[in-house]
Amino acid sequence: MSPLAALRAIVIAVALSPLAALAHGATPQKVVETIEIAAPPAKVWAVVGDFQDMGWLPGVVKTEGQGGVTPEIAKRRLFLAGGGVIDERLVQYDDAAMSLRYIIEHVDFAVLPVGNLSATLKVSPAPSGGTVVEWKSRFYRAFPGGNPPEQYTDEVAIKAVSELFRSGLAALKARVERE
Amino acid sequence: MSLRALAVVFLASLLVGAARADEAFIPNQSSDDLTIVDLGAMTPGAALPIGGKPAGIAVSRDGARAYVTSPEGHFVSVVDARARRVLKRIAFDGQPFGVAVSPDGRRLYVADMNGRELLEIDPDSEKTRRVEIGAMPSGVAATPDGRLVIAAARDDNALVVIDAENFARVATIAVGRHPYGVTIDASGRRAYTANVESDDVSVIDLAERKLIANARVGSHPYGVALAKGRAFVANQYAETVSVFDAATLAPLATIKVGEYPESVGVSRDGGTIYVTNWFSNDLWSIDAESYRITGKAATGDGPRAFGAFVRAVD
Repeated sequence: MSPLAALRAIVIAVALSPLAALAHGATPQKVVETIEIAAPPAKVWAVVGDFQDMGWLPGVVKTEGQGGVTPEIAKRRLFLAGGGVIDERLVQYDDAAMSLRYIIEHVDFAVLPVGNLSATLKVSPAPSGGTVVEWKSRFYRAFPGGNPPEQYTDEVAIKAVSELFRSGLAALKARVERE
Repeated sequence: MSLRALAVVFLASLLVGAARADEAFIPNQSSDDLTIVDLGAMTPGAALPIGGKPAGIAVSRDGARAYVTSPEGHFVSVVDARARRVLKRIAFDGQPFGVAVSPDGRRLYVADMNGRELLEIDPDSEKTRRVEIGAMPSGVAATPDGRLVIAAARDDNALVVIDAENFARVATIAVGRHPYGVTIDASGRRAYTANVESDDVSVIDLAERKLIANARVGSHPYGVALAKGRAFVANQYAETVSVFDAATLAPLATIKVGEYPESVGVSRDGGTIYVTNWFSNDLWSIDAESYRITGKAATGDGPRAFGAFVRAVD
């Protein structure tokens, strides 16, 4: 291979590798966010447990999907205010325990710089009355190899997911307490 | 019974009593260390610093060494398992991940997760040989006779069979989607791999070098352990261990475990299964006959223990 062809191959490999849907960093990351809501758990679960309507998450302008709340069947596409989309699949759903788990099947790293994200939303009675909602996730940074570029580091991925969950939980609290 | 015979019985009982419980060597990827758990008492000892985000583990058959891969640090740590001391780090050009040790303890087999190769490393001289595996080399295991090494090419949906002597590829076997952990039975006849994306375990006949069947398990299986003629499979999303009959592949039980279980090991006597829970930071023990949870031990943050993590203690 000529030096130019070799360089071109490397440039293409680097450009494509973060886009490969299942490539990811070496170390899975954890984010756990919780919030207390002054409302009964059932009222909170009525919102959180509707997998086909993610309208409570700031920035989501529309949810389109199918399969209701049947694990491995139910899917949804979140349309974002900025124009991006996130494709998600439900993998666990426990109505009695008020808990669901979903995964991101596809997202542009410009929208959310993470790979292989799975997340659990769990609604529980708070000790003080009211409700505690926990949103926890396992994911990788977007960049698969060592020495990631600065927009694809572990820290950037953790910050993005933490901020998304915090803004979502704050909006959920505001909405349920207002209703 | 003669006095001499009594003395022999007494000494033998002392020896049996002296045999201590097995240990678990658990690399914690987020806290960058290794937790050594006494599996008799299910109590963790002091954490041994490792660095480089350790994930993979292989304990030598004689219990003398543990080898820990650090994919982010680009090295393999050689641990004196008795002295609880890191003897040295072997530099690795790539991201070392899945690891196995040959039965004689003289060779390491290390998968480069973001490369395409499996490396054979002599832990003393650090001399290496390489063989092409395919996309995302993951789990690795050696047959008990040391003649074959099996590695998963996760993103090629295949297991690759390597002749250990020539370190050359001799077969490629199509399995389910995204094979991850690889386990070989004590007779060396079968290999099992957990397919993360297709929620099943592929069972391979190693003499025929072909797929026998795929056994359905729970959501997102990672690791497989074999005990009492049964396979125990950790399902990361389902947060369960699936049990199936290793001969007939008939499902037997589903055991609820901790959060995001990944790796599964078995005690030397085959009586106890151990599962690491990555999110809840603990190691659970399960009775292999009754399927009851018999103990829990705290680990560091993010226990991976990808590989053979149970150490025989004599």
